Amino acid sequence: MMDTMFLKAALAVYFVSVLGYVTSIYVRRVMVAKVSTWIFFLAFLCHTISFIFRYLETGHTPVISIYETLSFFAWAMAGVYLAFQPKTKTRVLGAFVSPVTFLLMIAASKGLEGYVSIPEVLKSNLVPLHVILSVTGEALFALASFAGAMYLIQEGLIKNKKVSGFSRMLPSLSDLDRINHFCLMWGFPLLTLGVLVGSLWARTAWGSHWQWDPKQVWTLVAWVFYALLLHQRLAIGWKGHKAAFLSLLAFAILLVSLVAINLFFVTAHSFI
Amino acid sequence: MNIILIGMNHKTAPLEIRERLSLTCGNDANHLAEIMKFPEIQEVLYLATCNRVEVLANAVDTAGAVEKLRAFIFHHGNLSAEEMARCLYLHYDDEAVRHLFRVASSIDSMVMGEPQILGQVKDAYRTAVEHNTTGVILNRVLHHAFRVAKRVRTETGIAHNAVSVSFAAVELAKKIFGSLEGKTILLIGAGEMSELAARHLLNQGVRKILIANRTYARALQMAENFHGTATDFDTLAEKLRDVDIVISSTGAPGYVITPPMIEAAIRRRKNRLLFLIDIAVPRDIDPAVNEIDNVYLYNIDNLQDIVDTNVKSRQREAEKAEAIIDDEVGKYHEWFNTLEVVPTIISLREKMEGIVKSELVKSGSWMQNLNEEEKKNIEILAGSIINKILHDPITGLKEESRENGALPYIAALRRLFGLDDV
Repeated sequence: MMDTMFLKAALAVYFVSVLGYVTSIYVRRVMVAKVSTWIFFLAFLCHTISFIFRYLETGHTPVISIYETLSFFAWAMAGVYLAFQPKTKTRVLGAFVSPVTFLLMIAASKGLEGYVSIPEVLKSNLVPLHVILSVTGEALFALASFAGAMYLIQEGLIKNKKVSGFSRMLPSLSDLDRINHFCLMWGFPLLTLGVLVGSLWARTAWGSHWQWDPKQVWTLVAWVFYALLLHQRLAIGWKGHKAAFLSLLAFAILLVSLVAINLFFVTAHSFI
Repeated sequence: MNIILIGMNHKTAPLEIRERLSLTCGNDANHLAEIMKFPEIQEVLYLATCNRVEVLANAVDTAGAVEKLRAFIFHHGNLSAEEMARCLYLHYDDEAVRHLFRVASSIDSMVMGEPQILGQVKDAYRTAVEHNTTGVILNRVLHHAFRVAKRVRTETGIAHNAVSVSFAAVELAKKIFGSLEGKTILLIGAGEMSELAARHLLNQGVRKILIANRTYARALQMAENFHGTATDFDTLAEKLRDVDIVISSTGAPGYVITPPMIEAAIRRRKNRLLFLIDIAVPRDIDPAVNEIDNVYLYNIDNLQDIVDTNVKSRQREAEKAEAIIDDEVGKYHEWFNTLEVVPTIISLREKMEGIVKSELVKSGSWMQNLNEEEKKNIEILAGSIINKILHDPITGLKEESRENGALPYIAALRRLFGLDDV
């Protein structure tokens, strides 16, 4: 039960950090954002501890049920943001990341009371590896899309000569483009490996590597978009506007695969 | 309080009069000595910048001191009586303190929020301290003024955002590129404003500057000034591939830079961002280039709009600053009131009694073994130790105050016993 206790603590502290970030935007003080970052870090620690307890108490890597996965997604996103925060120096990104983390945590906390028994088919070391790789990749893509959205907003403001208000809160175009690029560079190989590991497991569980299941298909479509984006960036030298826009589009497709499929479609990829 | 502030600034005195006064006065320490010779004046600070001349004094006899200071300025500024009446302002006590706070916080400056004035006030104070012309009162006022200036700077946006066209261009460049380290500028044509913008950009770490001019000789000459490279006007299109920021201010009647030129350049430069600043009238750069991806074009009106907005926002911030200053003048006033003998004695006693009380509470654990009478005796003992310790300082303070020189003692006492720490 320690895991749920820490999860609730993390949820509460995430909420405080959201309030902090929102306040920092409202009062426009870097100090408030700095404090919020530390609070966010504290929440992240609670969250980490909760994972450890859950692992100890259930005996499986807690990334199996959809709720566990949501929680892990939130954790990975927070972790990646925190890890690169000192480098990117864009605290205002926290004002995007923290509310999303918090909402994911609310969704996750609905199903994390008590434990589910794991179907025999999922008891393979490949399954947690598949989830961890894919979800970390997807969390990076989420950050890429936040940076992309901020890029488009900032760019629109600069193009339309509205640079005196909200624009001051946003990082420079180059910084946002760099974050977008970075998250893409790391997210892509992780998701690719995640899918490969998944298909290795699928061979043992379903008898074939690929099933043309809706979830797989949508993920594949999103993967193709990301591959295209990465190619354009690296080979053609895409920067700025187009890259930001495409990273948003690709993430929208990925979201369909992540959320909509599990809710509205019958899929072989849903287990619990 | 016997604080006087007499002076003139850019709002009250025309340039020629300020000139006359600052030429003869400058920040010359001799004037401090001269003013200190007036028996009516105990402490003095003399501040002269290109926009203001201010004398802050702590006087024994206010009316006499004002007369002497007027005569001093009259003499040095070579002013007519009429000019003097028109240009000089005179503030007393709280209002004098408020004026100093406003000056130090740069609310009274010509360009509100400019950072130099605080340094100038600090320099003036340093000179005064070196010549020993400040004492308890002015030291406190000045230190308080530095604190207020810092508070205004951090708590309001008075110093935020560019209020000149060239700085607005620098801020925009940072908004686009983040750091300007290692960037390259192309300067087309000549002109005061464009050259100023280029200089500001160079100060921000821009690495390289290319200069194009219709007359190559002029380009060469400017290149020397900027430590840049002169370039042929006919190869502009090629140069657009390599630069990050373009500042254009030619006298050309038509567009010097057109969308096809930029489109071709953008392809060759692998979509790197390009910031174009068009300071020329008529314009040098076709406004249609702003529609091209990753290209940002600002003309002189756009920059001026930013400056106007920023000036307005500084004015709004100035209101917040005035509130802070109100508050701080109040605090100064409070401190000044404590400089009386009686309140100081009272707070000294309170402090001592407070210490005894808290020590007794701390010792409660071992004292519980004592009976009531023994406890009472300990309290009496502590009380009489306090009385003995305080007896001499209090008597001394009272004696000094009868001779009207108690201020330094009171201030020292308050400082040493930490009576002002709340």
